[in-house]
Amino acid sequence: MGNSLRHIRVIAANTFTEAIRQKVLYVLVVFCLLMLGGSSFISQMDFKGDDFKFMKDLAYAGISLVGLLVALLGAALLIPAEVEKRTIYTLLSKPVRKFEFIAGKYLGLVALLTLFVTLMAGIFFIALWGHENALTARELAAGGGRLTEVQTQLVGEYRASAYDPAMIQALALIWAKLCLVTVICVLFSTVASSTVFIVSCTLFVYLIGHLQMIAREYFLGGEVAQWWWKIFLAAVALLIPDFQTFNLSDEIIAGNTVRWVDTAPILAYAGVYALVTLTVSALVFEGREL
Amino acid sequence: MSDDGQREFAVSAAGLTKTFTLEWTRKRLLALDGLELRVRRGEVFGLLGPNGSGKSTTMKMLLGLIKPSAGTVSVFGAAAGSLAARRRLGFLPENPYFPGFLSGREVLNYYGKLVNLHGQRLRARVDELLELVSLTAAADRALKTYSKGMLQRIGLAQALLHDPDLLLLDEPTAGVDPVGSRQMRDLILALRARGKTVIFSSHLLEQVQEVADRVLILHRGKKVREGTLEELLSVRGQSQLTVSGLTPELQTRLSAWLRGEGAELLAAAPPQQKLEDYFIKAVGQ
Ligand SMILES: Nc1ncnc2c1ncn2[C@@H]1O[C@H](COP(=O)(O)OP(=O)(O)OP(=O)(O)O)[C@@H](O)[C@H]1O
Ligand SMILES: [Mg+2]
Repeated sequence: MGNSLRHIRVIAANTFTEAIRQKVLYVLVVFCLLMLGGSSFISQMDFKGDDFKFMKDLAYAGISLVGLLVALLGAALLIPAEVEKRTIYTLLSKPVRKFEFIAGKYLGLVALLTLFVTLMAGIFFIALWGHENALTARELAAGGGRLTEVQTQLVGEYRASAYDPAMIQALALIWAKLCLVTVICVLFSTVASSTVFIVSCTLFVYLIGHLQMIAREYFLGGEVAQWWWKIFLAAVALLIPDFQTFNLSDEIIAGNTVRWVDTAPILAYAGVYALVTLTVSALVFEGREL
Repeated sequence: MSDDGQREFAVSAAGLTKTFTLEWTRKRLLALDGLELRVRRGEVFGLLGPNGSGKSTTMKMLLGLIKPSAGTVSVFGAAAGSLAARRRLGFLPENPYFPGFLSGREVLNYYGKLVNLHGQRLRARVDELLELVSLTAAADRALKTYSKGMLQRIGLAQALLHDPDLLLLDEPTAGVDPVGSRQMRDLILALRARGKTVIFSSHLLEQVQEVADRVLILHRGKKVREGTLEELLSVRGQSQLTVSGLTPELQTRLSAWLRGEGAELLAAAPPQQKLEDYFIKAVGQ
């Protein structure tokens, strides 16, 4: 048991190192450009106080997209490569179990995603801070160095909107969603060896996952007659995770109150789903001829 | 009883068969056909055969990387592929299958941790092995910059990390220079002296002859010969003499005398230095 945990940690660290040495961090440059472009764009426009919502929307979309790229490519490139390049032969000639390999790969990718989300969140907060400072400075300049009552209130609103602690919850939701996409990608990587195929299947599940709620309602409502539709809806409702649930972050971005008690069950749902999928992946991989 | 029998053998396989089902066509390919294999502890065992005869397939089944289609195989009495079996063996794959983004030292550290070495012991062991395979100077370069022979050397080092009782070496000298293959030979002999079992495959028959106690020849997945080198190679009823100062005239007299005694001189030629010895002298090792 102690050995297993150590093996998983060693393989995870190796996966993380591999990704870093493949220079994946360059992807962050894209995100920086996006944030820079976004901030300078809103500085030109007048969004009438919706500045921060715009920035948050942009950052959220950026983090989701970059994270999705890292998750998909990470799992769909690194796992099949071990099999294709046969490095797994050397690995499995050691007293290492196949599930340790799968868990190690997954946790390495989770570590990578954590780093990415943290760094992008950092860049995003710097952008927010910069913009908030610019707006406050503008008010100060307009008031000749002093703020009127109305202006003071306005600046306070800027601050509240820029430094909304609920954004942490929104980031946690993205992170959980990305970890879930990764585990699905890992599952496909244990059965297939083609990166394109794995990425396509994962994206398919990801998209269907956004419609999952509808499928569930139709299935439970019993409104469809054809049996094949019923089976399909049941499969979607039972097997595919509900990605729509992570869109609670939209509420946070819109500035509505969302508390941790609302977010926590979603995070727990993602954790349980990931654990189950990882177990299934390990079992599938156990039976696979290499 | 059978347990005692098992204990004497490092590896024993019975009726070992492997059929691959090819992708797309679903055609079946018989890679190994009913192999009986018993390797005693402490033995150096050579696995010979033409390309595609099933040598690597046999090794992979000893490792549990692929499962037999029929038959059984055990390593030190444990099922092949079990943790107990893998703890006691080291494997050098036939092609350099190592993560290229790591340096030589890092890859040994990585595999070392997976065979449960750590801390000071791991560091010391890694240094020792780098020295053994003469890679100390290149230890901190990425493996993707290594030449084929250097990868083979790192492969050997990783197989030896946990000082296993059984070594499976799939073409250990492929791509290795003569000095390296001589080191490999010396190493195999040193391992045998320490009671280790070595199973290796090779196409370089001369090298096999130098180290193997027993060999098995595979052809199209079937065993065609097995035995000690002496059993297989000695030409019955003939002997070789090495003489110095043999003039042509003396040779004629010797030949005549031998004929008179009922024997016959079959060949006389100066013994040739082996190219390997010559090469090693030339590069000054
Ligand atoms: N994964 C696989 N799928 C299908 N056929 C395979 C697979 N692996 C090996 N074979 C086939 O099994 C046979 C034995 O292959 P193997 O690799 O054991 O040969 P070998 O004796 O090691 O040859 P070499 O001297 O070239 O290394 C070959 O015909 C090979 O094509
Ligand atoms: Mg081979």
